[in-house]
Amino acid sequence: MISNTKEVKALDFEISRSAEEKRELLYKDDICIGCGICEKTCPVDAIELGSIGAIVRTGADVPKIVCDEDKCVLCGMCSVVCPVDALEFKIDDESIKDMDEYPQLINSAEINDDTCIYCKACETACPRDSITIARDLPDRSKLVTGEIEIDKETCIDCGICEEMCPADAITMEHKLPTPDDPTVSSDIIVDKDKCVYCLICKKSCPVSAIKAACRTCSYGEYDLNPEDYKTTGSSFIDHETCVKCGWCQEICPVDAATVVKTFDGELSIDQDTCQACGACVDICPCNVLSFPESIKAGKRPEKVMSDENYCIYCGACESVCPVKAIDVKRTGIKHTPTKSKSWEKQIESLKT
Amino acid sequence: MEMELKVNQDNCLGCGVCVVACPVNASISNEVAGGHGSKTTETIMMVENGFIKLFSPEKCTKCGTCQLFCPTDAIWLE
Amino acid sequence: MPKHIVSGLKYLTAVELIREGYSQKEVAKILEMDRSTVSHYLNGRNLSWNSIEIAKKITEVCPKDFLILAYALMQDKARIVVKTCSVRDYKGIIKESCIGCGLCADICLMKAIVLNDLKAQIDSDWCCGCLICGESCPTNSIEILEVKNDF
Repeated sequence: MISNTKEVKALDFEISRSAEEKRELLYKDDICIGCGICEKTCPVDAIELGSIGAIVRTGADVPKIVCDEDKCVLCGMCSVVCPVDALEFKIDDESIKDMDEYPQLINSAEINDDTCIYCKACETACPRDSITIARDLPDRSKLVTGEIEIDKETCIDCGICEEMCPADAITMEHKLPTPDDPTVSSDIIVDKDKCVYCLICKKSCPVSAIKAACRTCSYGEYDLNPEDYKTTGSSFIDHETCVKCGWCQEICPVDAATVVKTFDGELSIDQDTCQACGACVDICPCNVLSFPESIKAGKRPEKVMSDENYCIYCGACESVCPVKAIDVKRTGIKHTPTKSKSWEKQIESLKT
Repeated sequence: MEMELKVNQDNCLGCGVCVVACPVNASISNEVAGGHGSKTTETIMMVENGFIKLFSPEKCTKCGTCQLFCPTDAIWLE
Repeated sequence: MPKHIVSGLKYLTAVELIREGYSQKEVAKILEMDRSTVSHYLNGRNLSWNSIEIAKKITEVCPKDFLILAYALMQDKARIVVKTCSVRDYKGIIKESCIGCGLCADICLMKAIVLNDLKAQIDSDWCCGCLICGESCPTNSIEILEVKNDF
């Protein structure tokens, strides 16, 4: 008879069935955010969310979800509703993300490279480390021009200029003196690609052996080519781990990042019930929740703060809260259309 | 996969940090939350005769807070 | 004995196909047999009436038993035999609760089910009424109706 096979690799699993077609469900635990949306959606109750609070906080070697291969019918619904790419579903080696008949959650995160100034604020802010900004800085030597010359006859090899140079542009070849060459340096070299013509060496030289002039200071910016002082680069978002939380969009100073979220909703915390255990803060994949810093001794701020700008309404905090102090409402869900009534119903049931 | 709350009395110092830190305990009894110790056995765990003891482990929601606070790994989820 | 039953079933199928208007050549191709064997069958040679009698009985048992028996005897070739010799016609109705998991399509020995827009579709021409698909359906979305009974 036809049955599923399951392969478990560390915390990951693969469930597959091969007959008329080959269906495979692949789970990656390191990408899973423990939100439990798959558990809620599974039409045959094959998925069970683990004790995610303990798993995430104590680093227990236990998968965040388990799937009973005897119950799973490999329909692919869990994969479609997963807010990250923790559950991948393939039919005959093709991902259902590439198949028109399967609905998809609508969400996106994009960085426009034409607008981006490569400040890396998004890379730092991203709670999932999904953003990589690679940047090429302008050539320092092209931004300032000038002239510098060291009169080696006058130079006494004291090394003061080498120590003072803020751009590390001066190097001396230090050595011990010998009877036939009683000097302490064999040469002094100025790297003109590094020199910024700040004239510190000239001013600090005890024997006035350095002649230097900055052309930019005297003549303004006449010789600067705008292309020369532009930082170029590229941005990359790892969509497997990106949760489309909106941190990059909020923090970007030039509005280069655009995020579209799947769910509309509302996050509320009952401050009276909350015991400030921090489970929600630890589980939130979007850095929405935090403990406020004390404003003043003797004054108590809120127990847990939230900024819904970054919330994706995945519900992980609600399910992890030991005292049910958190309520996550999903009021809207964006997805591509499906002709299947049961899929439509199951996806819509994620609204609360 | 549901985890289970476990204790090892041999490791326990009887400090009661877990009793106080546990958010479920705190919501059951204000006395526990205040660190006074409760006379009730309604709470998940309590220190009894100097050692931690589980009274109502079925109330545990597996948030892991006790394990994070315990200085001697005497209480944990497995 | 199984060999004789297979011959009997093939005989009944060949006769029925000819009655439906197929040529001997076409029948030979469908049943993957020599044309001469088909010809012999149709002329009532090389076959005991006993085998035909037993085969006839088999076609009349409940559809699931007929299919499973035929499949055990001749694997994929059983499809055409069951389709042709079945005395009843069925229509499969898929309810909207179908999630398109494809389990029925995988399990159907008649290969009568395909998925279309995340919903199973049953080809009435091939459905033999065995109900195996319905037993496997996780959402109880399959209904098989008997629409004709020549028995």
